[in-house]
Amino acid sequence: MGKKRISRRKLFGIILLWFFLSTTISVWPEERAVKYFINVELLPETHLIKANETLRWTNRTQDYIPDIQLHLYWNAFKNELSTVAKESRNEGLLKRYQVKKNEGGWIKITSMTTVEGQDLLPSASFIAPDKPVNPDDQTVLRVSLPKPLSPGETITLNLEFEAQVPSNGLRAGFYRDGYFISQWFPKPGVYQEGKGWNCHQYHLNSEFFADFADFQVKITVPEKFVVGACGEEVDRKVNQALGKITYTYIQQNIHDFAWAASPRFLKVERLFKASEEITPEEYQQVANLLDLRPEEIKLPDVRMILLIEKQHRNQIERHFRALRAALKYYGLWYGPYPYRTITMVDPPFRTGSGGMEYPTLFAAGTSVILSKNVLSPEGVIIHEFGHNYWYGIVANNEFEEAWLDEGINTYSTGKVAAVAYGPGEYPLKFNGLPLNWLVKFPAVYDWQTDRLFSSTVVKLDPIVNFSWDFFNSTSYALNVYQRASTALNTLERLLGQKTMAKIMRTFQQRYRFCHPKTEDFIKVVNEVSGQNLDWFFQEFFFSTKDFDYAISSVKSQKLTEKISGLYDQSGQDIQPAAPEKAGKTWPKYETTITLRRYGEARIGPGVKMKLKVKFEDGKVEWREWDGQNRWTRFTFITPTPVQTAQLDPEHIWLVDSNLSNNSYTRLGPRQKIPTTTHGFFWLVENMLLTLGSLF
Amino acid sequence: MPIKSYLFPGTKSALIKFKLAIYLWLIIIILALVAVAPLNHLVRANLSHLYLGQPAFIPFELHLIEIFIAHQDFFQPYLYLLLILFSLTAIIFIFLDAALFGRMITSERKITFSDFLADGSRYFWSFFLSTLLYLPIFILFFLLSRFLAFPLNIWAGKSVTEWPVIISSNLKLLLFILLWTASKLIFDLIRIIIIKDQKTVLLALRQAWFFLSKHFFSLWGLYLLVGLIFVLISIIFLFIGRLISAEHLFGLVLMIILAQAYIVFRLFIRMVFIGFENRYYEKNRI
Ligand SMILES: [Zn+2]
Repeated sequence: MGKKRISRRKLFGIILLWFFLSTTISVWPEERAVKYFINVELLPETHLIKANETLRWTNRTQDYIPDIQLHLYWNAFKNELSTVAKESRNEGLLKRYQVKKNEGGWIKITSMTTVEGQDLLPSASFIAPDKPVNPDDQTVLRVSLPKPLSPGETITLNLEFEAQVPSNGLRAGFYRDGYFISQWFPKPGVYQEGKGWNCHQYHLNSEFFADFADFQVKITVPEKFVVGACGEEVDRKVNQALGKITYTYIQQNIHDFAWAASPRFLKVERLFKASEEITPEEYQQVANLLDLRPEEIKLPDVRMILLIEKQHRNQIERHFRALRAALKYYGLWYGPYPYRTITMVDPPFRTGSGGMEYPTLFAAGTSVILSKNVLSPEGVIIHEFGHNYWYGIVANNEFEEAWLDEGINTYSTGKVAAVAYGPGEYPLKFNGLPLNWLVKFPAVYDWQTDRLFSSTVVKLDPIVNFSWDFFNSTSYALNVYQRASTALNTLERLLGQKTMAKIMRTFQQRYRFCHPKTEDFIKVVNEVSGQNLDWFFQEFFFSTKDFDYAISSVKSQKLTEKISGLYDQSGQDIQPAAPEKAGKTWPKYETTITLRRYGEARIGPGVKMKLKVKFEDGKVEWREWDGQNRWTRFTFITPTPVQTAQLDPEHIWLVDSNLSNNSYTRLGPRQKIPTTTHGFFWLVENMLLTLGSLF
Repeated sequence: MPIKSYLFPGTKSALIKFKLAIYLWLIIIILALVAVAPLNHLVRANLSHLYLGQPAFIPFELHLIEIFIAHQDFFQPYLYLLLILFSLTAIIFIFLDAALFGRMITSERKITFSDFLADGSRYFWSFFLSTLLYLPIFILFFLLSRFLAFPLNIWAGKSVTEWPVIISSNLKLLLFILLWTASKLIFDLIRIIIIKDQKTVLLALRQAWFFLSKHFFSLWGLYLLVGLIFVLISIIFLFIGRLISAEHLFGLVLMIILAQAYIVFRLFIRMVFIGFENRYYEKNRI
């Protein structure tokens, strides 16, 4: 029976391989500059992986390249002198990544030869390109080549390496016999013409950057393991004598490769059938938004593979629903998902690898106890899938400009979650139990919380910054994710949904399978909007200026008909007159509204800050302010006093760090303040009582 | 039947002396007012003219967080104020406990504020000493709970799913609460003996130890039963609280009444504890 199964699988593999080659080659006929052929075996007894790798690298530049630089990421967990360890120590996080005996990660190349058989290891040495210089870091290996690589020339290297899976690394890790394997193989940096290698060492806050490549990876594990990996499984061979199984995965045009293995995975497959997910009306609606024809935005079917921990088996449908929503809206808005599979991994327990993206595969993460009003794990599924678009297909340098994927993707995640689910409650837990069971929290949209938290780091760092140059991890995260997303949401409100939708789609389509930079994004924004919005990026992406416009005071006072005092006119005393012409009814009210700019940041040329004032008789007045000075004042003479005043009533400026000072109404938010004050009061009463009964 | 002979009379004496709960409630209100006043000022200064809009562009709660973020410099001195206030409260509560125990244990049925204060000052010193004595007992029980949690830690540490982690952390909390109630029982009994038998703190400890060596489990059982009733009623309070919407003035008033009723209820339960413990001791001491 076993034999029969093998031969049938072989046949299946051959058919799949043929199918794969025939379909994908037609999609991407051109060659990638990098090709990997890797055979890897997982040895669970020692938590080691042993592998051989054939790396083909082509010089696509006009430079003569004397060396090749390889990332050896797992050496970040080798000792306490690595850059990751040093940066963790600075942040008081060292314990989390501290090297326990025999549990730190490392990677060692045991052999590296050219096809001619020349040994390159003697010419290899570790380098640390980033500042502050850390000569002890071993995450970048520079290998001198026997002779410089000419333009167009290809070099093939045969490597053998072994690596210890870190027990508590960043993103990769193992716990018992559950493994998540990422950043695990020697991988060249990106060679930039005229500039040399862009190959940064591994930092606490940095993610990655690599060239698009074609991968063929054979993964051997003990038979009991369920495996998932980037790309498509095209073959499976069982070695019954050894109790092992080898899976072959292939994928073209991706820039990283990750895999996971655990005996506690359930593997579930579903098909994303575009015809069932999107109605003709929805196609029409999005086509109208983008000024395209519905045929131009048609989506393909995608095979969805879920590897979920058995303990979460009751959440299978919740996972797929979120993934289908993500495939649908990212696809409709930004363009079709270009690969045939997407693998969603609920990462093995305690491997510290959740919430992370890889091309065609992502790690989500959930909990056994969920609250139905909290969008978890939905938020993380949508976000990590979304990285296939921002990072995967449009592949920015995450070391240097992390906002380009994290910020754009946080913005996109919020939009997808909002249309697919609406607002969600904030996930607060105590001892693993949702607090939502006890206390009612308001449901919020991502943009509402993003803008709130990003205001705490505005003055620390600009959004566009090298990831290791941020003040700390919190500033990195809040600037790159939430602040960037808030700025993009502001841009959308400033330009309108249609223009913004076109900007995002243009940026995605133009830079598919490329490495765009912040300038490229700005260029697309200016081109599609037809405006020069350089100021917007200067104020909100490249600066640390706080943006806070406010209504600082509102005064309405009754005017009397008689005005006392003497009024001179050409030397003669004249009778005092009412300030308005007769015929209008008295009393009149003079309303003075003072606006201020508390922050350093300002709105740009040609843009106006709007003020909407409503009076008690229902009349509405609008005023505009260019917002350049520190303050301005508007006066209104009206039959009734002011009822409400709103600065930016269209709610464009989400970047405003304090929206609480943007409005005025005499009565205030009514019951809200006494309710809140009493809430605090009751809390303090209970705390006092608890303290009193403790002793 | 222990419930009939101790719990009912204990509850009855708490009902008879209900005025005590009101005294304590008023004092707590004053302390809480002092604690909340600066926060209230901050909220009013920043949000009392806020226009939320229909529907609100941003939920009010987020505006609240926003002004807290914008006024971070307010919180450092405010936390110091709270720290001082809470330290003072600890001392004040020793006085109030002395007054409460004194009036609960006395056979006089009539409650006056002056008697309440008189008992507070009469027993303050012994209650203060008993608190000092209780601290090492509390630490001992805390360490015991950590020690007993050891197998739970091993179980959770080895697990391959999240369930043992959640279950063990909640069991650990439960274990701590159970041990804390046991330590609290000793503490209460020492104080009852101080008043009832007019003993010094150390002698009261000896007497309490001696008494509990015979009666611990039945008394603790009663303690836990009352504790359970307290928890159940608290959940009902919270549940009703969730149903009330404070959007309108009526709802707000209802919410305030309910919340303050809960505080009085907590104080009342405290009196029930003292009532039945006192009754139990009275009936079973030799
Ligand atoms: Zn992300």
